[in-house]
Amino acid sequence: MTKLNTNQWLAVVLALFAAAYLAMAWQVPTFPLPRPVDSDLFPKVLGVALLLLAVLLFFEKPGAIAGADEIDKEATQGPLLLTPWARVVVTSLAIAAYALLLVPLGFVLASTLLCVGLTAYYGYRRLTVNIATSLGVVLALYLTMTRVMDVYLPTGVLPF
Amino acid sequence: MDALNNLMYGFGIALEPINIAYVFAGVFAGTIIGMLPGLGPISALALMIPITFAMEPSSGLILMAGVYYGAIFGGSTSSILLNAPGVAGTVATSFDGYPMAKKGLAGKALAIAAYSSFVGGTVSVIFLMLVAPLLSKVAVSFGPAEYFALMVLGLTAVVSLSDKSLVKGLIAAVVGVMISIVGIDMQTGTERFTFGSAQLLDGIDFLVVALGIFALAEVFYMLLRGGGGKETPRNAIGSLKLTRSEVKEIAGPVSRSSVLGFFTGVLPGAGATIGSFLGYSMEKRIAKDGNTFGQGNIKGVAAPEAANNAACTGSFVPLLTLGVPGSGTTAVLLGALLVMGVTPGPMMLEQRPDVFWGVVASMYIGNIFLLVLNLPLIPLIAKILDLPKPLLLSLILIFCMIGVYGMSFSVFDLLLLLGFGLLGLGMRLFGFPAAPLILALILGNIMEESMRRALQISGGDWMTFIDKPISLSLLLIALLSLGLPLLKKRRKRAIAE
Repeated sequence: MTKLNTNQWLAVVLALFAAAYLAMAWQVPTFPLPRPVDSDLFPKVLGVALLLLAVLLFFEKPGAIAGADEIDKEATQGPLLLTPWARVVVTSLAIAAYALLLVPLGFVLASTLLCVGLTAYYGYRRLTVNIATSLGVVLALYLTMTRVMDVYLPTGVLPF
Repeated sequence: MDALNNLMYGFGIALEPINIAYVFAGVFAGTIIGMLPGLGPISALALMIPITFAMEPSSGLILMAGVYYGAIFGGSTSSILLNAPGVAGTVATSFDGYPMAKKGLAGKALAIAAYSSFVGGTVSVIFLMLVAPLLSKVAVSFGPAEYFALMVLGLTAVVSLSDKSLVKGLIAAVVGVMISIVGIDMQTGTERFTFGSAQLLDGIDFLVVALGIFALAEVFYMLLRGGGGKETPRNAIGSLKLTRSEVKEIAGPVSRSSVLGFFTGVLPGAGATIGSFLGYSMEKRIAKDGNTFGQGNIKGVAAPEAANNAACTGSFVPLLTLGVPGSGTTAVLLGALLVMGVTPGPMMLEQRPDVFWGVVASMYIGNIFLLVLNLPLIPLIAKILDLPKPLLLSLILIFCMIGVYGMSFSVFDLLLLLGFGLLGLGMRLFGFPAAPLILALILGNIMEESMRRALQISGGDWMTFIDKPISLSLLLIALLSLGLPLLKKRRKRAIAE
């Protein structure tokens, strides 16, 4: 079997997505009163369009991908936790943890921890500057949002 | 005379102390964000939306407009000092700006950029003031069929003018529309693609998508490139003074590029990037010393800078008069206006003259701020480029989080933001343009509504889109715009052979 190129892989994934989308579009309930265009028409058109585009993509010759070749090659040789992709995964996990801990910990504490932690993880070694800048920016944002703009942000474990 | 009276009314609004403060804050914040390589005007505007949420619409738009042209100006600073354009619209500036900086003339290049931006911005505001009311008079006669066709044209133009694959651009646009229709269908009350989740009933907020696809994806991308790429030594700024002969030399290119830039900005899909490239190549062709372009010719800085600022203002024309944005950036502006409860369109001049004329007048003031305040502050502002990259990346993340949470107070939206950030990274790595997605996301609902209303009026007859001459012409232009990249490709291949 011939090996699929990047565009062909993407096309297969998109075609599967389009098929699932179309299946869901067919399940959109119809409006009780007859009308020329119901809620399901537009999704059906979109699903078919995506399917057709996936077919076109399958036959398109893949060009040079601008982003992929700029990945930091040197860092890929380093410790596993510091490789470029590990940085993306760890940052994603940190964001997910932040989302879940924002209300119980409060905005100031959760945001400062995220900012200081990630900055140190990305390789910034001056801890005092890191803590002072992170806390300063987070506090400034917090006070502007809560005191000036009257936007509520969770206080969490801190009293303010 | 009407325009003059209206402008005076606009100045009455823009000169209110609070609005002056907003113009300054917008221009200043835009300059800083635009200067940071990677964060373009779309990210800058998306980050500002939560701040404008509770503002008067006129003040909110005044701030956002300031951020927009401030970001374009800021982008030129990093183009000149680092050869790392902060925004795509200032890439052409780096062709001659960076060589000037290497010769120790960075200050001169920055001053030329500021003066040219000022002239480009001011000339185009005059055009905006004259053209917009005329266009809105024409647009009042547009029915749903014409609007649908106009939005299709806006989308296809953005797709066809992006330098990436046409098919991938169209896929991004289709996915954008798909995201926009998640939630309750406003016309029938039917739930679509909510998967039974109460959090999706109101649909997906465009801010979550915009911050995810642009700002968060940019952070991920910088992480892949090793925490922001290699550090580039920053050139010293030096004197900001221009001689009389230099001013004389750039006067022609600046005026020509201002007009060209404005009309490029008005066209759907074009904008600051294309405007600046057109301005640059036009001057290179006209100039007697065209062969010195790329080696630090001052006209090579002046022309793209005047054009990109003029195009910025030009892009407000379709947004404010038709309610149809012609680019990703103005799509975010439209989203912000909708959040503030203002629907731009031909009736806006009648119903919300304060917003329209207030913004027009604020643009004059903003351009003066760019010149009088930002230029002398540039050596100081440029220090932001020395901020350690790891700290900068973490701070951008915090801004994204507070932006989303401050709008929706929803943890679910923070997780969605992460999802869109990863989608944005994937799109970037696989060569899918992001601008069509964001434009389609904003236009999706309005497009469906126009299509359904047109079909309801015609009793379900699809010929309604072809029977009406304006709608037919717009659809034909849309089709042609899609054919253009194919023709270009074929020509390139023929030349290569």
